[in-house]
Amino acid sequence: MIRFEKVHKRLGGRTVLDGVDLEIEQGETFFIVGTSGAGKSVTLKHMVRLLTPDSGRVWVGDDCVSEARGRLLERIRLRFGVLFQGAALLNWIGAGANVGLPLLERTNKPEQEIEKLAREKLALVGLEEAFSKMPTELSGGMRKRVGLARAIITTPEIILYDEPTSGLDPVTSRAIDQLIDSLRRELGVTSVVVTHDLHSALAIASRIAMLDAGKIVALGTPAEFIKSDNEKVQHFLESQYITKRGEWEKAVSL
Amino acid sequence: MGSGTILTREPECFAPPVNAWARVGRQVLLALRDTGRALVLLAEAAANIRYMFSRQNRSEVVHQMFVSGIKSLGVITVVALFTGMILALQTGLELRRFGQEVNIGTAVTVVLLREMGPFMTGLIIAASVGSAIAAQMGTMVVAEEIAALEIMSINPVRLLVMPRLVALALMMPFLTVYTNAVGILGGAIVGHTQLDVSFTAYFDNCTRFAENKDLYVGLFKAFIFGLIIVTVACHQGFATTEGAVGVGRATRRTVIISFLTILTMGYFITRLFYT
Repeated sequence: MIRFEKVHKRLGGRTVLDGVDLEIEQGETFFIVGTSGAGKSVTLKHMVRLLTPDSGRVWVGDDCVSEARGRLLERIRLRFGVLFQGAALLNWIGAGANVGLPLLERTNKPEQEIEKLAREKLALVGLEEAFSKMPTELSGGMRKRVGLARAIITTPEIILYDEPTSGLDPVTSRAIDQLIDSLRRELGVTSVVVTHDLHSALAIASRIAMLDAGKIVALGTPAEFIKSDNEKVQHFLESQYITKRGEWEKAVSL
Repeated sequence: MGSGTILTREPECFAPPVNAWARVGRQVLLALRDTGRALVLLAEAAANIRYMFSRQNRSEVVHQMFVSGIKSLGVITVVALFTGMILALQTGLELRRFGQEVNIGTAVTVVLLREMGPFMTGLIIAASVGSAIAAQMGTMVVAEEIAALEIMSINPVRLLVMPRLVALALMMPFLTVYTNAVGILGGAIVGHTQLDVSFTAYFDNCTRFAENKDLYVGLFKAFIFGLIIVTVACHQGFATTEGAVGVGRATRRTVIISFLTILTMGYFITRLFYT
């Protein structure tokens, strides 16, 4: 579905991606984890060509997104829904208008139908009552959920999540996890999630890749990931009170 | 209806210039590149005017006309009134030496219609509306809202730039007429209270030497200044990098570049029509 072929990227004189090879299958929930500055968000941005590789290619299906321009790029991007780290809602229109914006702009649907769909998607993320509220009236978690409702209103094939649980309390974080998981189960979407939050990753990921200094140092299912002998992986797990001896379950339950 | 240009740009990193000449050369090339990008942005916004009455844009155009036009009337009134008063006082005191103070109406009207009206309006709008546009666009870039629009294949130029361009292109001539009227009124007040020139004599002189051409050229200048302000502000806003510091930089650069461009274009338009 999404394929990285030896992608190199330098930003600000620093190598951020160093020959990344990656393949994400259709319908899976793929987590990319790693420390700050490891290149996670940069990887995500390459998938929708907000960044272009210095060398290497990024494919979405049969289309090379890293070389696409104009109508082709537009067509590729329409396959995606993106939840940005700060939700990226337009501040001068209400939550409902934000959710309905892609349909208002991209389709000829009547405004009443768009409003109905926006209300449905807001209900799906548990925010029916926020329809008329302005983004500034919403908490961080609510904004993210509105951002998610906007990302799914066009029923995209692929949803990208940039730090969906960062800055949220654990209860809201788990609610977001459940939403991501239910979207995969109910709508069959492919999800790519960039996060520091290993608890989320281990709970709902199909596979997890760990980036470190621009390279993928570990890749596998949550069970394989937690058993990895890679020193970086183990250090990352331990930093979140997760160990391969199963203590992480205890830590999460606490 | 997607964007023709990619507005979300990657951060740039250049090797340090080898000497002062290389530094100057790089700055010149970057300035030329930015000018080209700004003109492409203007052309794309102009090409999107055909969507002005679409359901997405019609209310935004009206809203921007209100924000950029009506909300600026307060500051324009004060500046125009005192500019007219200063013009009348300065010219009136000199003309009084020759017993010609009755002609201050002509001086004030011609100066305002030809130059000061559009120029002052341009500066006020660049400093207030232009800086606000740059700050809004810059903040949207920093908050990844522009990137979000591009990924949703919503053209930010059509959604954000075109309504502002149409609004200011329409409102600048209107505001300039208002500036001229208030400025002339300010001159009349000073003429009546300080120079013993009656209102009748003042307004008779206002219309005696001013030509229709003065008004049309002034309004044409105002229209061009409106295009300059929106283009510079949106271009600078979209080019914002480095968070809040970058937003501040974009705002400052918008005001400086707009002022300089308005001044330069004002000269060339005057030369075009009066020589």
